[in-house]
Amino acid sequence: MAVHRAVIAGIGHTAFGRFVGRTALDLEAEAVLQAISDAGLAKHDVDGLITDPGPTQGVINGITPHFLTLGQHLGLSPDFVGSEVLGGASSAASIQRAVMAIEAGLCSVCVCVYGDAALSSPGSFAYGRGEESVFGFFGATGLHALAAQRHMAHYGTRPEHFAEVAIAARAHAARTPHAQLREPLDLDGYLASRLVAEPLRRADCCLISDGAAAVVVCAADRARDMRRAPVSILGFGQAHSLCTWSSPGHFDALPAARCGPATLERAGLAINDIDVVLLYDCFTIAVLMQLEDYGFCKKGEAGPFVEGGRIGPGGSLPVNTSGGLMAEGYGGGMMHVIEAVRHLRGEAGDRQIKGAQTALISGHGLGMNTHATLILGQ
Amino acid sequence: MTSDFHPSPLAFEPSKFTRPFWDACRRHVLQAASCNACGHLFLPAGPVCPQCWSADLGAEALSGRGEIAAFTIYRQAYHPDYPVPYVIALIALKEGPRLISNIVGCAPESVASGMSVTVRFASRGEFVLPLFVPAMAEDSNDA
Repeated sequence: MAVHRAVIAGIGHTAFGRFVGRTALDLEAEAVLQAISDAGLAKHDVDGLITDPGPTQGVINGITPHFLTLGQHLGLSPDFVGSEVLGGASSAASIQRAVMAIEAGLCSVCVCVYGDAALSSPGSFAYGRGEESVFGFFGATGLHALAAQRHMAHYGTRPEHFAEVAIAARAHAARTPHAQLREPLDLDGYLASRLVAEPLRRADCCLISDGAAAVVVCAADRARDMRRAPVSILGFGQAHSLCTWSSPGHFDALPAARCGPATLERAGLAINDIDVVLLYDCFTIAVLMQLEDYGFCKKGEAGPFVEGGRIGPGGSLPVNTSGGLMAEGYGGGMMHVIEAVRHLRGEAGDRQIKGAQTALISGHGLGMNTHATLILGQ
Repeated sequence: MTSDFHPSPLAFEPSKFTRPFWDACRRHVLQAASCNACGHLFLPAGPVCPQCWSADLGAEALSGRGEIAAFTIYRQAYHPDYPVPYVIALIALKEGPRLISNIVGCAPESVASGMSVTVRFASRGEFVLPLFVPAMAEDSNDA
């Protein structure tokens, strides 16, 4: 098994919710300080910084050199910097960029941080993109609604199948003390949820949150004497489909169908070897499509596959044990990485998957254009 | 969650590549970019053919006929200029290119995947937009 010469040495995050008066910047600073402390390191150890500006700072307000703002406030003069702007794939991609920088010898302690105060910026997700917005094609929900409708028409997927994903997320979140939405959801509650863009309901959409999360990636040789057992990076990959939704096949499969199998092969693993599954869950349909594209089930069969609570707590394939973006809080994708680390350290509390040795994290972003996969191990 | 701080989408400025598409709409012509090297028809227009990278490009008028590849009915308003409900659809045009548009001229609930549709041009703000109606409705209008 190929193991990279960089490891995850520290994790940290804020609470997730509505925190009026807090800004992305101070949330990010809190997460970074926690992660560095968790690793047993100090400010002077940090020589790399990669930021994921989040939806309102990145996609909405345009791409400013986000690392510059945060780095300035943290008083850093690192040897390596960057900002990932792959939408929901940014967090997983930022870990990958950190590993590559460390393996290339450019830095040895790289902090990757996601942060945003999206909930305190009302309306900020109501954006259009490109000239299609002239037709009223706004927001990520409409885009995923097209994919969901197509999945229903082609494969007979039913609202009850989307509901399984939302219900499982809430059930997982009930075991996650820091989760933003811990109230249980049942099928009646799901069906009573208002329609946003048919067939997707409010309950099909992830949360919007104020919050930040940080992960410290560190050179493996340096991590040997750290206070935490290092988490290994077994493999990573990306695949992107930069064509617009006007291209044939765009709504039928995600770039995950390419980078999932390729990343597993790099890690020397099969999909059934994965103990902890953390899939980017911006919408219920995105989880169903990834279950297919990663090979957990066949194309078109994700609906029946999730029936009977299969991906919920106690199911045969628990997915997003923290509650994910749908219930833990919108952590960009960095919280998926942190949940994986917790399982591999044996620190996941009531939701600990016993004997977890491998974890797969996905990131899915923009108009279903970008995808990143990360496989971690003990 | 209406968004009143974003400019109206109807105030957008076409790019140098997409302007011919919008100009053709004013003449009630739906056109795609065409590659003189490989014959590929595509939308939106751009600097080179995305299939063969030739920069030898032209434009070709399309029939305006196609079918609905996917659709969604917006039930939540995002912008005051776009009252709900309305239908957003991905249209697979007969000649190959696909585009996002609205389905009008029928109840949103009657829209279905695979439905045959025909372009119908409509003025909105500064623009003439290529909207689509069920093919049968358009035929009866023509009669």
